Amino acid sequence: MTVLISGGSKSGKSLLAQELTLRLANGGKRYYVATMIPADEEDRARIRRHLAEREGMGFETLECGRDLSAALQTAQPDAAFLLDSTTALLMNVLFPDPVSCETDTDAAARCADELVAFARSVRHAVIVSDSLYADAAHYDGSTEVFRRSLARIDRALAAVCDVVIEAAAGNFTIHKGELPL
Amino acid sequence: MVFIIGGAYQGKLTYAKAAFDLAPEDIFTCNGTQIDFGKRCVRSIEEFTLACVQAGADAVAYFAAHREQWEDSILICRDIFCGVVPLGAENRAWRQETGRLCRYLSAEAGRVVRIFCGLEQRLK
Repeated sequence: MTVLISGGSKSGKSLLAQELTLRLANGGKRYYVATMIPADEEDRARIRRHLAEREGMGFETLECGRDLSAALQTAQPDAAFLLDSTTALLMNVLFPDPVSCETDTDAAARCADELVAFARSVRHAVIVSDSLYADAAHYDGSTEVFRRSLARIDRALAAVCDVVIEAAAGNFTIHKGELPL
Repeated sequence: MVFIIGGAYQGKLTYAKAAFDLAPEDIFTCNGTQIDFGKRCVRSIEEFTLACVQAGADAVAYFAAHREQWEDSILICRDIFCGVVPLGAENRAWRQETGRLCRYLSAEAGRVVRIFCGLEQRLK
């Protein structure tokens, strides 16, 4: 079963995603696809916090800063995967040089295709994304490219995933399918 | 009237085209204080409200005055309501007026649909 979870920040997406992945793994192999490339001490602290949260859950970590196919090469496809998040992955891919903020839109399109192929090829996957589409602002060019690219990934994943969930303050709206028991 | 809301890039127009068999010539994209209600579908209503705020016009009054022209229309507006309070006064007024119009249109609509990741959520 494949599940897409999106919603606002701090809405309980990651906690639900961990819980669902464990449920889907049902005691079997589970992978955590780690997408953050740490840039500073704040990022490293966040990664340590996430690692501590997952301790004892039995996840094997697959480092995937940019190349999803490479990260998955040695993984068992019949396992349960937790990918958190598409947002971080796209950020790494779309802005290869964080200083210049130049966008690599070809890489972003490849990243979208790889995510869809990933959702289609593995037995169980829970994928976390972010909803950042509903504020009263007009953004500059590269920010709009980012939002549009992420939304394209969300829509493509929503079309292929079995279940689509929106999180809001720890509450969950199921937009497609049914939660695994 | 069918009222469709949703965040940016969620697939609101794609949904409307498929659900109501719209051709490009059926769609009016707002970019000022005037709307061509001769088109079956009016989209980017948030750009109409922004133009109204800038021109000092009343967006709800405009819609109310043309009520019989959009009774059977498909109206699309972007959800701009879930961010932090905008720093600029114009953006605050924009959000305020768009929210007021959305509540009016929701009340008038026979059907209200929210689009999330390309998926339809029936609100009314």
